[in-house]
Amino acid sequence: MRGFLDTHRTGQAVALGEDQRPVPLRKHAPGLGDFIMDETVAEYIRRTVLKIPRDEIKTMLQKWGFLSEAQLQTINFHQLKDNISQDVVQLCEENSADIKQAAVLDIIYNYIYPNKRVWSVYQMNKTGEETDFFDLTDFKKKIKRRLRSALKNVTITFREYEDNAVWIRIAWGTPYTKPNQYKTSYVVYHSQTPYVFISASVLKSNLPLLCQALVVASNYHDIREMELRSHSLNSLKDIVFKRYSQNFQTYYPKPLRERDVAPETDLRIIQENKNEKERIERVNREIFGDGPQPKLEFAQYKLETMFKSDPKMDVLDKKEPFRCLVKFSSPHLLESLKSLAPAGMADAPLSPLLTCIPQKARNYFKIREKKGLFPGSFVSP
Amino acid sequence: MESVDGAVRTLPSIGRLSRGLLFGGVHGRVGLSPSSRLLPPAPPSQENVDSQKTTFLLRKQWTLYSVTPLYRFSDTHLKDYARLLSAFIAAEKQKGLAVEIGVELGIKVAISSLPDLRGSDRDQAAILVQLSSRSPASPKNSEEKVIWSGWFCSVSGDDFSENVPEDFTCLPLFLANGAESYTSIVGSWFQKTFDCCFRRLAISPLNLSWMAAMWTGCKVDKTASAMELVFSVPHLPQPLDISYAIHPEDAKALWDTVQKTPGEITQEEVDVFMDCLYSHFHRHFKIRLSATKLVKVSTAIASAHCDGIIKFLQSQYLTGVLMLLTELAISQIQ
Repeated sequence: MRGFLDTHRTGQAVALGEDQRPVPLRKHAPGLGDFIMDETVAEYIRRTVLKIPRDEIKTMLQKWGFLSEAQLQTINFHQLKDNISQDVVQLCEENSADIKQAAVLDIIYNYIYPNKRVWSVYQMNKTGEETDFFDLTDFKKKIKRRLRSALKNVTITFREYEDNAVWIRIAWGTPYTKPNQYKTSYVVYHSQTPYVFISASVLKSNLPLLCQALVVASNYHDIREMELRSHSLNSLKDIVFKRYSQNFQTYYPKPLRERDVAPETDLRIIQENKNEKERIERVNREIFGDGPQPKLEFAQYKLETMFKSDPKMDVLDKKEPFRCLVKFSSPHLLESLKSLAPAGMADAPLSPLLTCIPQKARNYFKIREKKGLFPGSFVSP
Repeated sequence: MESVDGAVRTLPSIGRLSRGLLFGGVHGRVGLSPSSRLLPPAPPSQENVDSQKTTFLLRKQWTLYSVTPLYRFSDTHLKDYARLLSAFIAAEKQKGLAVEIGVELGIKVAISSLPDLRGSDRDQAAILVQLSSRSPASPKNSEEKVIWSGWFCSVSGDDFSENVPEDFTCLPLFLANGAESYTSIVGSWFQKTFDCCFRRLAISPLNLSWMAAMWTGCKVDKTASAMELVFSVPHLPQPLDISYAIHPEDAKALWDTVQKTPGEITQEEVDVFMDCLYSHFHRHFKIRLSATKLVKVSTAIASAHCDGIIKFLQSQYLTGVLMLLTELAISQIQ
């Protein structure tokens, strides 16, 4: 157990001291004669190594920097992964690794494989216009203080990357139980922006506390979920930082060009088909742009809109909304949506409900009927 | 036993009527649907007639097969069949065909009859095959665990069975749950012993839409799960799946206004129902679901996948669902 169980102040001081050190972390000697590495730490390192593809283990361990180059030389990286992991654990025992170092290895793995998690985007707001100087040390201190005062047992690990991103790994415990290292939350914060990318663990109950800590630590006023989620952290960044090429702002539906009237029907049909094809391509380009789309895997719509049917059909005439939940999923959602109209599966232009995703920076929607508007308009693009 | 009688009593009329629908010249070719079907049988008035004996069939994934009539099969010899099948499995395992590793302990075969699972007394009673083994970890104390099960059945398939020569038993629908290696061993034994032929039974999008409509109309508890349609959009550079889930009450309200023919469901009604759902979708997303492929239907009654995989969720509608599947199996055989 850590010292901060006695008084918070001492606890913070200890934690701070460790965190000001730049990564990679020092190889520490805890000062106990024969320190035995915690079994759970050993097991955690072993399992983390097992997650890494075999031909990447060495580079990842080098990035970790906890084992010396000489130690790494002793490992045969061509043997079974299980054996590699045992060897790594043994070397870590020699260096007396603790959970802090193990957590850094986990961050490195997650930084290289962010797509293994689902990320949600949060946006923070300020009340005033004042711009604060962002002090990383202060930020870390405040996060720790907030989380620890509520839970006591929590492993918080930071790692900074070149793109001004701070990666935070949090393993949650309770005042009475140790942190669960296998159900971690991840936070990626770009200090120059109001956006936070959170991959919450299954332990969702701590999410409000985490959000509160982030708001306090970064001097914002409040935080809200943007309803934008994906496995692809980079695509989420592309969307909220507007790093993709999409000319949606310039798009207004244009009236159809007058068709050339050909004397013969066949010719006219061919011409019309050609014109229609060109129109679809043009509209599609205007909406989606020429560049690659940001990568999202899903979009979800909760529809509570009226059911409007052909009066001739004489079906369901209800005043209450027709409740549906529609989910789109694809390895690359926006690219597949883009190809729908050219493939003849959808109208061009596609519904603004779908094409607004990158622009509105969200992929979870609740759609209600707009009162007094012409049927068919649910949201304005 | 009164309750069982009750179940049987309600069904003959269904059997008689469906005959007309099945073989009335409306269809006959594989993959075509009749132009109308009966409403799914209402749940028997008695409390859960045979639910006790069939609950184990619920909430499992069953892979569907059609089976041609079995030659010289007799349900008085089930014990002998179990013994022979058991020996066959042992021999196959020795040949190394079975891929299961570590199940060295003998596999026990049980073959029994499920008399409740039929449409009328003119249907052959369903036959259940179960393979079980003891856990290799603690062979002495552990209970036998069912590792694979499969069953043959026919619900209101009597029109078909009446037209086959004597010596043949019609159980056109086969459902399997468990490792495919066992399905193939058991299947090949039946194939060899009773000169029959198994074929995977896929469900066409058209039949899936029938299921969507029929099952939506069924009454279930208030807490019923949503009616979900899953579509896949073929031929795109990136595959796209669309799940369209509708609140069960709203789906039923729509269906109830579409379904107008008393006592039966027509193809036209199914089409109108699906078209309504498609146009509601199109109004929002401008995507034409009719151009995509319906691959899965889930309702509170059952869920069905186009690959021929089904999950039964309500015991009182089990025979109703089996009736439709029997019909599909028969049309594949013919």
